[in-house]
Amino acid sequence: MNHKKLAVAVTAALAMQFGVPAWAEVKIGINVPLTGFAAADGKSALDGAKLAVADANAKGGINGEKIELVIYDDQASPKEAAPAATKLIEKDKVVAGVSGSYSASTRAAAPLFQAAKVPYVVAYSIHPDVTLAGNYVFRTATMGEVQGRAGAKLSSTLGKKNVVLITLKNDFGQALAAGYKEAAPKFGVKIINEYEYGIRDRQFGALISKVKSDNPELIYASGYYFTAGPLVNQLRAAGITVPVIGQEGYDSEKFIEIAGAASEGTLVTTSLDRDSDSPVTQAFLKEFRAATNAGADMVAASTFTATSIAIEGLKKTGGKGGEALRKAIETGTFSTPIGKLTFNDLHEVNKDVQVQIVKGKAFHRHSVISDPVLLAPPTKAK
Amino acid sequence: MEYEISLATTMAISVLFALSLNLITGFCGQISLGHAAFLGVGAYTAGMLAKAGVPFLLTLPLAMLVAGALGVIVGFASLRVRADFLAITTMGVGFLFVGIVRQQDALGGEMGISAIPDSGMSKLVFMLFAVAMAAAAALLSAYVRRCWMGRVFSAIAEDEDTVRVMGIDVPRFKLTAFALGTALAGLAGALYAQHLKFIAPDSFGFIESITVLSMVVVGGIGSVIGVTVSAAVLSVLPSWFQVIGTYKLLVYGGLLFLMMRFSPGGMAALVKRIFHPDRWGAK
Amino acid sequence: MLFVELIAQGLIQGSIYALIALGLTLVYGLLRILHVAHAAFFTLGGYIGVMVANQTGSLAAAIVAAMIIAGIGGILVFRLCYQPILHQPPFVPLIASIGLYIAAEELFRIIFGPSGLSYKYAFLQDQVVLFGFLRFKLAEIAVMLGSAVIIGVLSLLQTRTRIGVACQATVSDPQMAESFGISLQKVGDINFFVGSALAAFAGVMVSVLNNMVEPTMGSVPSYKALAIIVLGGLGSVRGTLAAALVLGVVESFGTIYLGHYLDRNAIAFAFLILVLMWRPQGLFART
Repeated sequence: MNHKKLAVAVTAALAMQFGVPAWAEVKIGINVPLTGFAAADGKSALDGAKLAVADANAKGGINGEKIELVIYDDQASPKEAAPAATKLIEKDKVVAGVSGSYSASTRAAAPLFQAAKVPYVVAYSIHPDVTLAGNYVFRTATMGEVQGRAGAKLSSTLGKKNVVLITLKNDFGQALAAGYKEAAPKFGVKIINEYEYGIRDRQFGALISKVKSDNPELIYASGYYFTAGPLVNQLRAAGITVPVIGQEGYDSEKFIEIAGAASEGTLVTTSLDRDSDSPVTQAFLKEFRAATNAGADMVAASTFTATSIAIEGLKKTGGKGGEALRKAIETGTFSTPIGKLTFNDLHEVNKDVQVQIVKGKAFHRHSVISDPVLLAPPTKAK
Repeated sequence: MEYEISLATTMAISVLFALSLNLITGFCGQISLGHAAFLGVGAYTAGMLAKAGVPFLLTLPLAMLVAGALGVIVGFASLRVRADFLAITTMGVGFLFVGIVRQQDALGGEMGISAIPDSGMSKLVFMLFAVAMAAAAALLSAYVRRCWMGRVFSAIAEDEDTVRVMGIDVPRFKLTAFALGTALAGLAGALYAQHLKFIAPDSFGFIESITVLSMVVVGGIGSVIGVTVSAAVLSVLPSWFQVIGTYKLLVYGGLLFLMMRFSPGGMAALVKRIFHPDRWGAK
Repeated sequence: MLFVELIAQGLIQGSIYALIALGLTLVYGLLRILHVAHAAFFTLGGYIGVMVANQTGSLAAAIVAAMIIAGIGGILVFRLCYQPILHQPPFVPLIASIGLYIAAEELFRIIFGPSGLSYKYAFLQDQVVLFGFLRFKLAEIAVMLGSAVIIGVLSLLQTRTRIGVACQATVSDPQMAESFGISLQKVGDINFFVGSALAAFAGVMVSVLNNMVEPTMGSVPSYKALAIIVLGGLGSVRGTLAAALVLGVVESFGTIYLGHYLDRNAIAFAFLILVLMWRPQGLFART
């Protein structure tokens, strides 16, 4: 019985692989984590990408041709991402790729897109290696180190000197901590202690007891909403009332839901400003809610942005990929929900960092950190 | 073609890796829930050496050596604890490996190592090379199985105490099984690092250990052909399952469970039953 | 002060571990299988807890519902999944169990969505101050007290009631017990019911503590509980309790003072390996 099941699965898989006819459509490929620990972000990312494609198709696609989004699950793992990328390039012959995934998988996929000369727009993966893969790789996210520097500046703006870092032990958390530590002395911010935790941790009792005894003026804690929610909740329950600064990983309605009343006042450095007066941002927020019945988060906005940049580029080239598309993206200026974007010579974006604060169970604008020198992404020279 | 070449390389590496565990668990009966740690040791050794400028072919024996040496150390644990305790101890070794590598800045920490220098082989040649290595491991397995050492292995797997009473030096054979198996896992790891050009601690965690154990068990524990086939199929199943999309892991877990529930001898036993219907009643 | 707080936090964590590991020990004692899928009942408990509490507004109803449903689920797993393969070598049920757990985790994700659920009402979130300096969430106190009470009642039942004595007898010598007319099936049912219900209780309490349930919440407890029952000497209830509390406290100090060298899970397993090399039958095993 088992045997039969396997045989059926294999046959079905083969049929799908060899039996698909070539459509006269413009294909954009995306790798997202739809299963595994990052599945929640993957879903958000995919919703964002789908919205961008649906928008473009509703407006007539590219030269009248419809855009098709080819979707592969990469489980946020390099092992799954590499074959997925190869398949997108080789089998599906996509003209452009989008990463709606984490750093580990994106780092594995980027060199493959580079080697095949297929432009690859990365939404929210923050590892420096990603754009170092070559000139066909673009990134719309603010790099981890840059966001960390913004966190340090925000701390000093709030007038806080003694800070405890609570760092998530993965590439995201470590990149943030590195940026924060680098910039802290410039702003006279002193790091009195740093603690690390794993991505699976949800119980922070011991760590919090120690933080309390350090008596900091501010806590800079990296994490995603599923770690940050319980963390902030438990910090407040332990009677720690000092401000907490988080980053774009917090940027999800789920964070507010999990942390509950304790989330009030939490500051987040991110790229999506809910109170922006930009019509592009407001239109995106509205459409996303209509399409998914949920509020957009940073991941959705970034992946929407990355996908629409690929589409805008394709509109300019008339659906052609390769070098023409690369040049179109390189030289273009894009109005997106996360601001007006242009790429530097390393294909990073230079943009302001949005500071949001949780107020009345929603993210609202707190301030904007605009400092082109401090927030400069790396260039080819560096 | 490149996609097929890449898949074939993945297959070959998985077969090699599964056969390496089969030497320890299938032949010698020592359950390991942390085998991915040795894949990781091989991958990190080869990756670091390649970055230091050591030529690819030289990184392979060194990766095997380091993984095999650590394997012998873990093998000593198998002399002290048995069966379920050993399963948990090896699982602990797996967690310890990941936990330690995560904190080593020299090994890239959480970020892992990327941009591992190219082997100089074309993709096709590298694939053929990996297939050749897997074939060699299969031949080695078949040979070990037939020679005196293999018989002692299976006797230890059946009933360790009796073998001990017979005056056979059980520890030596167990350690040999661990050394051989983990060295081959190290080789698989070195190929893995070269194939993906990027390694990070999470790629060698508990899930990976379970995956490889599943390959061995689904194929038929101890059966060289069964393990080879199941590793080849299961390793590319996730890519095929893209069709089924979000149900992939559900099917994977369900398959594991059903296989154990209805045919604990794995595919090898299933095939036997189909071709020898008279044995249906046999255990 | 910090020292006392760390111990208290360790005990809270330890009592959660104890609740989960007890079920595993009961199963191992009886059937000699490592029941990895046990953690699925922890997750199941969390989900049922959140859903029932959000529907009814009563945490007590949620706990009762979670424990009963998980308990029945446990019996089903015993009869349908394990009983037919008990005569196989130990790795067979072990792998079957791992497969079952992976499938269960995926089912949770597919049915309830990947991003998890939270409580609509704030249960037990108030703060309690003890001795002037120890500050807890009410839920933390409830975890400790709840597990102490449940475990106390269980051990009373085990020594004072007919069926409890039968269970104990079966665990220490299944064949002998059978010859005295004790039904293995019945004892198995009871062990799985009780074990899974305890895990479900732990699941509800953890979901209250974190105000979140997610599909993967059982994966860390699943293998950590394995480590605990091994430390406790496999099959020994008292050993398991002691090991769970010790591990909770070790981890509590470890995350603070060893966190830069090893992560939390690695600490637990480093401790485990050390103990096993020193005492191969577990820390608290009766020899």
